[in-house]
Amino acid sequence: MIVLGIDAGNLFSKAVLLDEDCLLSSSISETTGNVCSCVDSIVSEVLEKSGVTREDVKLFAVTGGGSELIEGLYLREDDVLCIAAAGAYYLPDVEMVVDIGGQSITSILIDEDGDVVDFMRNDKCASGSGRFLEILSGAAGIPIKDLSNAVELAENPVKIRSQCGVFAESEVISYLNEGKKPADILWGLCDAVAGIVAAQARRFPGVKKYTITGGVARIDALTSRIENKLEKEYLKFPHDPMLGAALGAALIARLES
Amino acid sequence: MLFGGIDIGSLTAQAVIIEEPDGKSARLKIHTKSIRVKPDPVESAKEVMGALLKDIGINWEYMKYVVSTGYGRERVQQEGLSHDNISEISCHGAGAFALYPNVRTVIDIGGQDAKVIRVGPGGELENFVMNDKCAAGTGRFLEVMSKTIGTDYEKLGFLALKSRNRFELSSRCSIFAENEVLHYLQRGASVEDLAAGISRSMADRVMALARRVGVEREVMMTGGVAKNVAVKAELEKKLGLRIVSPSLDPQLIGAYGAAVLARRSWRES
Repeated sequence: MIVLGIDAGNLFSKAVLLDEDCLLSSSISETTGNVCSCVDSIVSEVLEKSGVTREDVKLFAVTGGGSELIEGLYLREDDVLCIAAAGAYYLPDVEMVVDIGGQSITSILIDEDGDVVDFMRNDKCASGSGRFLEILSGAAGIPIKDLSNAVELAENPVKIRSQCGVFAESEVISYLNEGKKPADILWGLCDAVAGIVAAQARRFPGVKKYTITGGVARIDALTSRIENKLEKEYLKFPHDPMLGAALGAALIARLES
Repeated sequence: MLFGGIDIGSLTAQAVIIEEPDGKSARLKIHTKSIRVKPDPVESAKEVMGALLKDIGINWEYMKYVVSTGYGRERVQQEGLSHDNISEISCHGAGAFALYPNVRTVIDIGGQDAKVIRVGPGGELENFVMNDKCAAGTGRFLEVMSKTIGTDYEKLGFLALKSRNRFELSSRCSIFAENEVLHYLQRGASVEDLAAGISRSMADRVMALARRVGVEREVMMTGGVAKNVAVKAELEKKLGLRIVSPSLDPQLIGAYGAAVLARRSWRES
């Protein structure tokens, strides 16, 4: 059975095409202007990439911040449940999934059946989110995709003291004015973000194994620091972690049908 | 006799000199100066006080007592530019009280922080709350949002007063609010309505802070944001009272308070 899962996120839209356990294709595109047209284009893209026709797809499922705006025959799924489902399905041992998205950080506690027991979410403040990382990395003059490589070059890391993204941006700029190297600033940035994420994840103290999803989990410099701060076993998500919620939407839709 | 106060803020630095004529000190003269800050607070202090002294044609040596406050106030003293350094909280309280002895609450919103200060009937500091962790509710929020809607920080309040249909901002976070405002701006929302929503959000944050210490009459607003007419009007509506405007530029109250405390220290010693 072929299932299509979509995550209409605040900053990026993602689509996956699942055939049983096989990920046929996926597509990610920045959410701009109209969410509907953005979703339409990534849906066409995953179909085209895999050579599957719309008629072959049995189920269409959608989740994420923009899911309510999407018209059509989509099953709507809650994003916390989707993230948890993806974590539990691909990594049956994990007891927690930490998702770091464009505008939120969510820690989800799951039981052995993969059901959500509890979760914690910060989506009121940009601190530690993908947007935060993007702004500050940009302020230091390094695009977010080059973050991990840049951090490797750090020699005398600085500390980012502000939690607030706006204040932290000024802090980054004054470090640059003082002549600090971007790599040293980015080291401090990664350390700060990892600290914010770990502080939330620690609120579920009993957890032994966890995974990290969301676009920010693509950045190794960050996941490795989160791993160092949390004294728990980190299991790497087997697919692109940015696709976590979209995969979960497809998995839940399949279960429900 | 001359007493000085120096206040280094995040964007501007202020100096105030209180001139007490010899003999009967009935009529005090107040001299003021404001400049944009330099990267180093000591440099800012040197420049702003130096410029003020030059204005009135007096040398540093004639200053009886100077108090520094604001960012780097300890370093300003260490460099010999002041005799003592006192927190911004105490200086704003003292400055507001000296100008208006009925004041019991001072709402001071600067570029990087917001404070609500409670003053007792004798001008003593009773309690205060401060937010310097989050840009929402500080001057920085207004600055970021003004830039987003393409206006000046100073003009935002006047634009807001022209609004017919206030925009309701759902984000508190400055970064999220920036995205939200941009989104609606691109969809044709009017700059006036957005400015009104921004001012309202600002007032909401200040109210949340003020509730933590309780507000008592009379209330004075100081700091740069006190010049924003829309934020002030919104706060008056929420508090159900008139906010007193200081007879000096609201950005000078910290430096004025420092000078008042300098004069007091000199008299007591």
